[in-house]
Amino acid sequence: MKDKSILIVPLLPFGWKRLAFVFFPLPVLLVIGLAFVYPDFDPNETAQLIYGFWAIGFGILNLTREKEEDEMVKSFRLQAFQTGFYWLIWGVAALMMVNYLRFGRLTSEIFSAYLVLFLLNAYVYAAFQYQKFMASKS
Amino acid sequence: MLSDSDMRNTIKVERAKKDMTQQDLADQVSVSRQTINSIEAGKYVPSTVLALKIARIFGVGLEEIFQLEEGD
Repeated sequence: MKDKSILIVPLLPFGWKRLAFVFFPLPVLLVIGLAFVYPDFDPNETAQLIYGFWAIGFGILNLTREKEEDEMVKSFRLQAFQTGFYWLIWGVAALMMVNYLRFGRLTSEIFSAYLVLFLLNAYVYAAFQYQKFMASKS
Repeated sequence: MLSDSDMRNTIKVERAKKDMTQQDLADQVSVSRQTINSIEAGKYVPSTVLALKIARIFGVGLEEIFQLEEGD
């Protein structure tokens, strides 16, 4: 399996983590700037803008190698993607249920590719960090 | 994946015999010190390759270092 190049997920060098963290405050500053320039800017667009930037930020973090990328870290990453996807399914199902109870329908404007990508990447990141935390706990 | 391991090991004992730190062992088998610490604590079960490398460092058989818990 190791040699099947189509299955290999290339990871970015460690330094990319710094760039990833730029994507978290950036949309907030952008939204504040847009609010001044376009006072009637749609709040739904604002949310999508933030989800999009944060999805990119978490995505870069998830695809950046650790300082020491050994087999334990690789196994944490594998588990994180599996757990993240599992949480995404339940997270989206919960959002749909809340939407149904409040508005009587399962879908809503807030459901977008940006939101789903943000949730998936955030869950994967959380699952990865949780495992690293548990491993470092004495 | 982290788990309460079904396997115990004597890495700490073998390290003490050779007066070796976790970092020394980690360097020799090309993993992080954290990984050695997690294996010793039974939080992480190493791959067969890593287990064999560790056994080779200590010059003992695999089963002398890694044993299944009773009932497994």
